[in-house]
Amino acid sequence: MRKTFGALSLLFILGILLLIANPNYGLKFGLGGEDWQKYRYTDQYYIDHGIEETGGTNIVTDIVFDYRGYDTLGEATVLFTSIAGAVALLRKWREENEE
Amino acid sequence: MKSDMGLIVKTMARATIPLIGIFGAYVVSHGHLTPGGGFQGGATIAGAGILFLITFGIDEAKKRINKSLYSALEGLGGLVFLGAAMLGLSVVFFYNTLWHNGPVFDGKPGTLLSAGYLPIMNLAVGLKVYTGLMSAVFAIALFRRWRK
Repeated sequence: MRKTFGALSLLFILGILLLIANPNYGLKFGLGGEDWQKYRYTDQYYIDHGIEETGGTNIVTDIVFDYRGYDTLGEATVLFTSIAGAVALLRKWREENEE
Repeated sequence: MKSDMGLIVKTMARATIPLIGIFGAYVVSHGHLTPGGGFQGGATIAGAGILFLITFGIDEAKKRINKSLYSALEGLGGLVFLGAAMLGLSVVFFYNTLWHNGPVFDGKPGTLLSAGYLPIMNLAVGLKVYTGLMSAVFAIALFRRWRK
């Protein structure tokens, strides 16, 4: 009985969250009016202006390396750090070079 | 020390490793035109390197591949990526100044020499991913817990 009630309440909360997050009539953050959808959902802007602004015909590369460059920079840092950690943990190279 | 792989595997690896490498180089160099990019192409070339390492054994691979050079090249790839991002620092970080008013890489969209710093970044990230993955696989393959 309790488990059923808990699951039903979770479903109810999920439904309320879906209602709030609906872009047509839900909760709006940031700018008022009708402009907020243009600023939040930017995919059509990338498709329209990507070629003239960055020059690449591959829109994914335009977004990854130009519009969202900071994200790629952090991703490269994560890769570098993980490989440095792997090499430092499995360090057999150093002993082989010293012998 | 002889490796465990037989003649069939070695012959197939000799035939397929150049093709995999060429395909990876194509994906990296055409990253701003066709699907793919630095990460995907670098991982493809690293697949060719890992195939070489598995097929011919760690001793043959140690003779052919310089591990310290690969570790250095990974850092160089990251620095080239950061430097290409800093080219347009007079306007803003990650400003594509080579495309808007640059001397090179400002051809028509769709050609190979276009899109400003995107080809440079693709090459740098491809180099970084390839050398980084090869360094990690070498570190795992060279790891021995026991003493010889």
